[in-house]
Amino acid sequence: MSLAVSRAPSFARFRPNLRWLPRALCLGLLAFVIFGPLANLLLWAFAERWYYPHILPLQYGFEFWGRVFEPRGGALTSLSNSIVIALLAVAGSLALAVPAAYSLARLKLPLRSLILIAFLIPQAFPEMPVYVNIARLFYGIGLNGTILGVVLVHVTHGLVYAIWIATAAFAAVDEELEQAARSIGAGPLRAFFDVTLPLAMPGIIASGIFVFLESLDEFTGSYFVGAPDVTTLPLLLYTAGAGGNYQTASITALLLLVPSILFMLVVERFLRADVLAKVGR
Amino acid sequence: MRERLVGLGLVLPALLTILLLFVYPLTTSVTGAFETEAGAGLGNFAKVWELYATDILYTLAIVSLSTVLIALFSIIIGGYLTLGENPRAVAILRWLYRWPLFIPFIVVGQIMRTFLAKNGLMNNLLVAAGLLTPLQTTSFLDWRGIVIAFVWKQTPFVALLVAGAMAALDRGTIEAARNLGASRLRILVEIVVPQVRGTLLVGMILSFVTMMSVLSVPLMISAQTPTMITADMAFRINAYGDYGVADALGLISLAMTFAVAFAYLRQSVRERSR
Amino acid sequence: MKTLLLAGLMAGALALPASAAQLTVVTAGDTNMVDYINQYLGPLFEKQNPGDTVRAVGTGPGDAGSQKILERFEAQSGNEKWDTDVAVVHEKFVGPMVEKGFLKKYRSDISTGKLVTSDKAKMALGTNVDGYVMPMFSSQTAIAYNPDLVKNPPKSYSEIADWAKAHPKEFGYNGIKGGASGVSFVMGWIYAFGDGDAKQLMNGPFEESQTKKWDAALQKLKDFNQVATLTPGNAGTLDMLSRGEIAMGPVWVDMFYSWQADGKLPPNFKLVLPAPGMPGQPMHYVIPKGAPNPQLAEKFVELATSPKVQAEGIVKRFNWYPGIDAKYVKPELDQATWDKLFKDVTPEDLAKYAKPFPIAPYNNAILEAYEKNVAN
Repeated sequence: MSLAVSRAPSFARFRPNLRWLPRALCLGLLAFVIFGPLANLLLWAFAERWYYPHILPLQYGFEFWGRVFEPRGGALTSLSNSIVIALLAVAGSLALAVPAAYSLARLKLPLRSLILIAFLIPQAFPEMPVYVNIARLFYGIGLNGTILGVVLVHVTHGLVYAIWIATAAFAAVDEELEQAARSIGAGPLRAFFDVTLPLAMPGIIASGIFVFLESLDEFTGSYFVGAPDVTTLPLLLYTAGAGGNYQTASITALLLLVPSILFMLVVERFLRADVLAKVGR
Repeated sequence: MRERLVGLGLVLPALLTILLLFVYPLTTSVTGAFETEAGAGLGNFAKVWELYATDILYTLAIVSLSTVLIALFSIIIGGYLTLGENPRAVAILRWLYRWPLFIPFIVVGQIMRTFLAKNGLMNNLLVAAGLLTPLQTTSFLDWRGIVIAFVWKQTPFVALLVAGAMAALDRGTIEAARNLGASRLRILVEIVVPQVRGTLLVGMILSFVTMMSVLSVPLMISAQTPTMITADMAFRINAYGDYGVADALGLISLAMTFAVAFAYLRQSVRERSR
Repeated sequence: MKTLLLAGLMAGALALPASAAQLTVVTAGDTNMVDYINQYLGPLFEKQNPGDTVRAVGTGPGDAGSQKILERFEAQSGNEKWDTDVAVVHEKFVGPMVEKGFLKKYRSDISTGKLVTSDKAKMALGTNVDGYVMPMFSSQTAIAYNPDLVKNPPKSYSEIADWAKAHPKEFGYNGIKGGASGVSFVMGWIYAFGDGDAKQLMNGPFEESQTKKWDAALQKLKDFNQVATLTPGNAGTLDMLSRGEIAMGPVWVDMFYSWQADGKLPPNFKLVLPAPGMPGQPMHYVIPKGAPNPQLAEKFVELATSPKVQAEGIVKRFNWYPGIDAKYVKPELDQATWDKLFKDVTPEDLAKYAKPFPIAPYNNAILEAYEKNVAN
């Protein structure tokens, strides 16, 4: 006891001074790793002239912002289309995924593994050779050039995230909690909505965020099924990025960043309040 | 029996969507893989073996390495968010790690290309800071660049899932272990990770699947030999109009993903029945 | 309230607006191809045809962009009315489009049809496309170099090979994947070092025996790849040039000038066209057979290929080589602008060293031979 007391003062002088160092170094390194490449993005968005041997752009300006937002280009329409489609895709995916995921997680389903694997297919088979046929299908049923068509394509791609993550989320909810609710008289639907769903909500929200992001990143489907009637911002992004139009691509990426971050913030705020409220009861 | 019907009924809308809107158009691609100019056969696969065998292994290696690194970093980030004791550092980390999530893959390709190049932003900054001389700068624009781009973009995805799962854990077991004097690393490895293993594996599989089908990153960072299967597929279609070989490559990609997913699912089924 | 809003949103989203006298132009190539229509050609057309509007969709650069247009036509081939009026595609894809019956024959219907007499409007990589195309501009590849690092630029392929050996890793090209500038370089290599007759490769006929005559050239190329840097693509080569990581590399002339105009390439970089030549290709205006507004589409192409627009738009705005015959475009420009076109590559150089790509069967054979022998 006395030994510990007599030891403490001499160490107490040094410990607080150094202990923050490794932590700060790690965080600093992480910040460089994350913001270094992002700085590239920001610089290109405002660079008008930039080439070697200059480390930073020679000339800054808004010239390319003018090009992106010039009235006939329809950047704002494309942006709003992209947001609407993404929101509808999230709604559609979750509507389809939540019952399916519950069933896959809880109920005895024949061929459960096969069904889960089936949902991987749209992501696992690279889309290039398939899209001609998907486009042909949509042209045939007259869904091309409609927002519904594009939403369906995005839902098909996003379902893999929604289903797999929601299944894991439901599987992680302790069955005993549900059974406890059932044993005091709650029906199966009530038990689901009051017990299971709120507990699985963080996972479901996460999958919603990923479907949203995936939809904002989707180019091939939007081109084949949407254009020329429904244009989305990723169309401009891909043309610019693939051609090395760094300025336009960076500006478009920044534009897409805004709804993504907003979506996540709104949804998380909503989630935290809701979950906390239920847990407290 | 009734439970099974109800279960199937709940799954059916989602399953039908996938089957009608993707699998049905896909069947043409699947049959196309077995059609050659000489009629039905394995000619396309023979060509794939002849020209792209290295690329297939290369793809598998890159995606697997990236998945393992992503899992590792996600555990570290999730672990610190759950077990970290300095509230300011935890808050900074929580704000910091998510940014790459919002950047589309094609933009990741672009910014990594200009960041990791021999005279790119990273090397220029290091040279300006005096940590490197211009002669020592190397370009990372090969398989390392692809791995870096994948890990950079996908880690926040898995970390978000893993951190969420860790946060939902019962703190009781963690507190008990702390009271017994276990180090935080030990708690992470022996108590926290085993409990979030399901979520972690789901994140890893989804990342694996996503990375297998990305075209923009290998195309922008390193389209040379060896390269990823998607770049070869794009080349076959755009340069030769050869859908047969492209479909064959797609089937191989599908098979690789299925193998990985199947292994995971069998593992999880074994666990459930225990 | 929220449900009403949502229902209204969905109803509005699902009821798509009908397209009225609206011309849809789908173009491959960089964003500047879309900008060209949105900022210059579209407004001009709309002023001349009040009440009609023009909208443009870009499909991306390179072969991938044109392939997407071909696939688009493929997907709607079963329908009577398609969704595209005019498409702008690379030469390589016009042949397949004609063979599959996707295009309308229109060149004889428009007044500017007779303003292009060269072969490039009649043949595309060995397929007869006469009447189906009007060239928008002629794209040519050349070797771009940094005059600070390269004091005496090589003037022929042999000199390039020697220079690359003397300066390892300073020559960069993208192989055959990722961009057509590298493909063009490889084709020019075969023209220069192949044992067969380059003219037969360009004009046909296709003989299987000719494909055996490239072994020595391909081996030489394999050795060359050891001392050259391989870049990710067209933009990749320009990228590395702008960062000073390579000193020389093949580029598309139009892309080169666009990058300089956008401030991504130093203004002092130059071009050289090496002997015996490098291939170039035009980009063509085509009208799909299911175009919803075929008459309007023809008027649009007629405007786009008129001498005034070719002068103002193609030459002055972009510094690109015109699609119609040069002698019709030259009177519309002042001498200074005209000379700027030929700043680095003179008309004599072009006459001698601008070549077409090999016809399609040789084209594919060379690419496959490269994949098998050089890349593996």
